[in-house]
Amino acid sequence: MPEYDAVVIGAGNGGLTGALTLAKAGRKVLLLERHNVPGGCGTSFVRGRFEFEAALHQLSGMGSQERPGPLRAILNDLGVMDKLEFVEMENLYRVVWPDTFDITLRAQRDAITETLQDRFPKEKDNIPRFFDLVYGFSMEMIQGLFFKDPNISKEKYPLFFKYALIPTQKVLDEYFRDPFLKAVLSIYWSYAGVPPRWFSFGDFAIMLFAYIEFKPYHLKGGSQALSNALLDEFINNGGEARFNCGAQKIITSGGKVTGVKTEQGDTVQTRSVLSNASMLQTYLDLMDPEQVPKETLESFRSTSIGPSAFSIYLGFDCEPDEIGIQETTNFIAITTDMDEAFARWKTLEQQGVALLTCYDVSDPDFSSPGTCQAAYVTLQYGDPWNLVPPHQYYDAKYRYAEGMMGLAEKVFPGIRGHVEEMEIATPMTHLRYLGHLGGAIYGRDHYAKDTQYFMANTSPVQGLYFAGAWASQGGFQPTLTSGRSSAKAILKSMAKK
Amino acid sequence: MSLKDVIHDIEGYQNIKSEIEVLKKYGFDHGARRGQFDAILEMLHPKSLRLRVSEIIDETKTTKTLRMVPVQGYLPPFQAGQYISLVVEVGGVVTSRDYSISSSPSQIGYFDITVRRVGDGFVSEHLLEETKQGDEFTSSAPAGNFYYNPLIHGRDLVFIAGGSGITPFMSMIREVTGRGLDRRIHLFYGCQWPDDIIFGQEIDDLSRRHADFTCTTVISEPPVGYRGHTGFITARLMQEILGGLSEKMFFLCGPEAMYAFCREELKQEGIPERKMRTEMYGPPRNVTTCPGWPEHIDADARVSVSMKGGETIMVRSTEPLMNSLERHGIAIPSLCRSGECSLCRTKLLKGRVFQPEGVKLRKSDRQFGYIHPCMAYPISDIEILLP
Repeated sequence: MPEYDAVVIGAGNGGLTGALTLAKAGRKVLLLERHNVPGGCGTSFVRGRFEFEAALHQLSGMGSQERPGPLRAILNDLGVMDKLEFVEMENLYRVVWPDTFDITLRAQRDAITETLQDRFPKEKDNIPRFFDLVYGFSMEMIQGLFFKDPNISKEKYPLFFKYALIPTQKVLDEYFRDPFLKAVLSIYWSYAGVPPRWFSFGDFAIMLFAYIEFKPYHLKGGSQALSNALLDEFINNGGEARFNCGAQKIITSGGKVTGVKTEQGDTVQTRSVLSNASMLQTYLDLMDPEQVPKETLESFRSTSIGPSAFSIYLGFDCEPDEIGIQETTNFIAITTDMDEAFARWKTLEQQGVALLTCYDVSDPDFSSPGTCQAAYVTLQYGDPWNLVPPHQYYDAKYRYAEGMMGLAEKVFPGIRGHVEEMEIATPMTHLRYLGHLGGAIYGRDHYAKDTQYFMANTSPVQGLYFAGAWASQGGFQPTLTSGRSSAKAILKSMAKK
Repeated sequence: MSLKDVIHDIEGYQNIKSEIEVLKKYGFDHGARRGQFDAILEMLHPKSLRLRVSEIIDETKTTKTLRMVPVQGYLPPFQAGQYISLVVEVGGVVTSRDYSISSSPSQIGYFDITVRRVGDGFVSEHLLEETKQGDEFTSSAPAGNFYYNPLIHGRDLVFIAGGSGITPFMSMIREVTGRGLDRRIHLFYGCQWPDDIIFGQEIDDLSRRHADFTCTTVISEPPVGYRGHTGFITARLMQEILGGLSEKMFFLCGPEAMYAFCREELKQEGIPERKMRTEMYGPPRNVTTCPGWPEHIDADARVSVSMKGGETIMVRSTEPLMNSLERHGIAIPSLCRSGECSLCRTKLLKGRVFQPEGVKLRKSDRQFGYIHPCMAYPISDIEILLP
């Protein structure tokens, strides 16, 4: 029976960085992926003259060459930077309420403060105070938590200890009165998947801080280029990858991992498994029930499956200008009541907030000359789609998409008349390609109770490790980072033996 | 000291801790979700289908419809215009072919596929001559991008069908007329001879009963005394019948030559790309006539294909790599067999292949040396990494 130092299940972001980290350390690694392409969310697909970016809107944590962010450092270490070309976005985002309010923020602290003060003169003094808090908090979190200060204490890091778990909404209400200002500042919630009421200020502040300080990025060739580069380097380092072949079973004995049975029916021996599959489904569907510790399943009771997305991929037969698209990142909202907007994610009703990203604004080469494309998305839970009978599925899909297009037309009139290619992905589509229940794109719901302070991402099963959104947070930077960290933990445990 | 020791000092920590304890007792037991993923996927997007031929219907002298019912369970939904990739074993070679579903999506009990004999098509020959009621097949789930999108395609549609290219349109016509959907369809149906017309009777009946469905048949090789439209489906004919082509959405399905001709005709009339949707048509009949084919390689050229860590085989340069692999009993995943869907995506380690224009490779796949073997022709000795 073939033997591997480690088997990685799933070639998503975390699986790829994990597999590559292990292979680069000289370990014999088998990477299993049930789909035919690496990347998971980090992928693209071709329709007509368009190659659509599936998932990446704004890559966080890159930073410039002169001021590298944490993600750039990781990609450097992994040896893939010379194969990739990154594109910086100048602006953070535009937020628009059709016919009501429209604002664009630059990815620069002073510029944001100025723009907001200009538009919200009544809140002139509160705005810089709020950014002092966001920055002060983030600096403390970086020093105290990320750099693991051995003398961490409430006295030394007062902002961190006061604000880490406070709901973002509470802080916004404390600082501001204008509902538009609150919504403009916190609109990333609709991208992160947690409404301000439940978004811990810690998670929110560090996200806003990181996007402003390290800038949003994209890359040439889209996220598929990153996935391909990671896989290529993995193969160059002696890694073995099998596509169209998922894992069928993780074999354990006496609470320890001993091997993996693949979908093709063969079994390999290993003492370490890094699962980039859903953590919940790893326990439910990849292990024999009697091998799963009782308290492990119990611990899932305090969590819920997180949101998926409803995405419309649009290929236009014109340049962005012609349809009035001037920004890469456009949030469109119909309400400032974010709880209301969030509640709609659990229904098939008209969405309250959506995001339209046109990559060609920052990278004119993204689509072929004379064309451009947009990824137009709203988050949504998978549950309402479970209730749609299969033979009404396509009707339901078009009906929901029609609502989205109607919303887009309020901001970009005439946009529909230039659509040459359109592909629609529901939570069921994401379920199909990602292999996650509910089509969850960010793993579990990430409320304050689901943050790193309460969740263990280690397993009581010896030799079982996790990477991806379930093991950390949703998004490219967190998942890419999680694979790297878990692989390091595996290497550490191997060194001990 | 680490965060662990002071974590309870974070404001709100204790409250959340107690909330979690309550939830652990009374929260949802996710154990109930065991097996749920496969069950959901099976309803909408099964990995493959097992089908049984329940009936064989003679359509024309050269065409039959195979009515397929599920061996067990249900058929997944599809969009009119989509196809299934049917796995067939002929003379010891396992291969697959795509067939558009010709029955309506509203018909949830069976899929019809309508097969016409192709000149040298050993698969169609097999399906028409050898297949009997009760035979079982494996197929893919419905796939493909040739379908109507109500958000952008409007309600005024022109279908241009050539020969057996009528099959996806039949599904669309049956759906629109059957459900009474608010769309107007005019079908231009090009056939070589009058007795080549598939579904002739049904098309006549439907156009008589539905004011919003009309049809013009065009015969390219009419017998003496034929009184209908003859020749090709020209822009002039379309103008004559439809009285203006703007604001209409055109769908084309038929042989390679028809696309080249009709698309050009429509372009001349000022119809933009976004108003034409074309079904793919598989590998070219003769790859050596494709633009860019290296002249020094003739039709009989043979090269070697080595699979990393495996065997080496000799293949013809003018046959798609996927077909050559299948001839040697090496099955790689396939679906569209037209270079589009990327399911067969394979890494080329050494050597060169020719991929005709229209093969839909991702930019970064090109950069990292991936090819689509269903439309890749090895023009030197090559080495590949099987997926």
